Amino acid sequence: MAELEGRVAAICGGTSGVGLAIAKAFAADGASMVVSGRRPAKGEAALAELNIGDRAHYIQGDGGVKDDCEALIAETVSRFGKIDILVNCAGGSENNAPVVDLTDEAMEFGLRVNYWSAFWLTRAALKHMIPQNFGRIMYISSVEGKVGKPGLSQYVVGKHAVNALTKCVAKEVGTLGITVNALCAGAMDTPMMQEAGPAAAESMGITYEDLLNWFAQESATKRLVTVEDCALVASLLVSEAGAGITGSMISIDGGTAPF
Amino acid sequence: MGKLEGKVAAITGGTRSIGRGMAEAFLREGAKVVVNGRDVAKGEAAVAEMGGGDNVAFYAGDASTQEVSEGIVDFAVERFGRLDIMCLNSGGVKNTAPVIMMSDEEWKLEVDWNLNSVFWGMRKALQHMVPQGSGRILVTSSVEGKLGKPGIPGYAATKHAVNGLVKAAALETGTSGVTVNAILPGLIETDIVRETGPASAEMMGLPSYEAMLDLFTQESAIKRCNTVEEVAAMAVMLASDAARNFTGGLFAVDGGPMPY
Repeated sequence: MAELEGRVAAICGGTSGVGLAIAKAFAADGASMVVSGRRPAKGEAALAELNIGDRAHYIQGDGGVKDDCEALIAETVSRFGKIDILVNCAGGSENNAPVVDLTDEAMEFGLRVNYWSAFWLTRAALKHMIPQNFGRIMYISSVEGKVGKPGLSQYVVGKHAVNALTKCVAKEVGTLGITVNALCAGAMDTPMMQEAGPAAAESMGITYEDLLNWFAQESATKRLVTVEDCALVASLLVSEAGAGITGSMISIDGGTAPF
Repeated sequence: MGKLEGKVAAITGGTRSIGRGMAEAFLREGAKVVVNGRDVAKGEAAVAEMGGGDNVAFYAGDASTQEVSEGIVDFAVERFGRLDIMCLNSGGVKNTAPVIMMSDEEWKLEVDWNLNSVFWGMRKALQHMVPQGSGRILVTSSVEGKLGKPGIPGYAATKHAVNGLVKAAALETGTSGVTVNAILPGLIETDIVRETGPASAEMMGLPSYEAMLDLFTQESAIKRCNTVEEVAAMAVMLASDAARNFTGGLFAVDGGPMPY
């Protein structure tokens, strides 16, 4: 029997990049799932790629919008009767600038998509996970949840906040069969990165290629990590053995973060 | 097909507890495995119990010595033709004590057992792995590699030290195809812990062995010990080809006590 047969996942931002890679891994292990994303066309494409019929469903939604986050959880429970696994892949930044020039709106956006999304999703999911005494919650955080880069403060602060949420929630639900972990990924050349990266690079006074190269060069492997690397860890966390791993900020960064 | 098909692994310790769990998981995933321990009779019995047939071999000796932590590498290469996965797993304390009472003898033993043997085994394994352009070094560290508890200063110091060794070696080998990682388990009720636990508890100023278990489990989020299987699953992941981008990492399997 596949390890995740009978398990139900909600994946916020599951239509491309790291979310889709995790969705594929869970699908291969037998899980059912609802994936969300802003663009219905990408949602349809993701369902086609997953190719697991009724076991996968798409709901239009923006991780930076509270109602959409809550709707993802509600839709998951309504369609499949429960939620066992929550993955939040929402994240990003726009209008990057050094703090001296950073607008309120840019900081608010960074906190909303990187941190508030995780909070809204988690609160809603826990209401279902706690009574059933089982849950696996994971956030796609970042190496920037542990360290910092100039010009990216709204992203860095948002990811640090997600890591803090990880530690708190893990301790709140640790004896209830629910684990909470942050996947602290290095830079990946994903659609989100391709969308937000060029502007972020420009605000840092470098090209997009320079930005990717900067991330790669600060790692031990001198290359970017991949979405499949995150899926590998996600699969471990949802396995039976994953029950013993919680409150952890797991480095998936080719040896970049110092701790 | 197993995740470690065709791989050869060597595990210091490995006849029982965490190392045994790793060995059995690696065998299930298709690897050939060398395990190690001091007692020949116990080692051979353990190998028989594992049921891996010709895919598992026993190398006798004290892993806290340079001779054995290096010798296991040569033994694995001789027996199985190569070495892909080196688990520097053996470690522990014998007569731990607070710093003020620590004997030179115990301190030296812990430094040899928990730190020097990891260095010796790692250096020797890298001499095989770097030229072959692939390899996985897994060091069994501990939550005490990031935290620290009274009464186990040598253990905390040496586990912190191996974490530093892992980071430095990972940066040295990052583009070579070799990865170097540490697994940081929380307390597991292994044979070694049952044997040395009561004395350690006393040195930690605790009323009983059970109180020591409580100290560890209560600081975690899950309020229980971890298991060998949980650590072994992490080891399989890190040992697999798919984990080529994971290096220099300190991977907790600890139920959530660590602040970073």
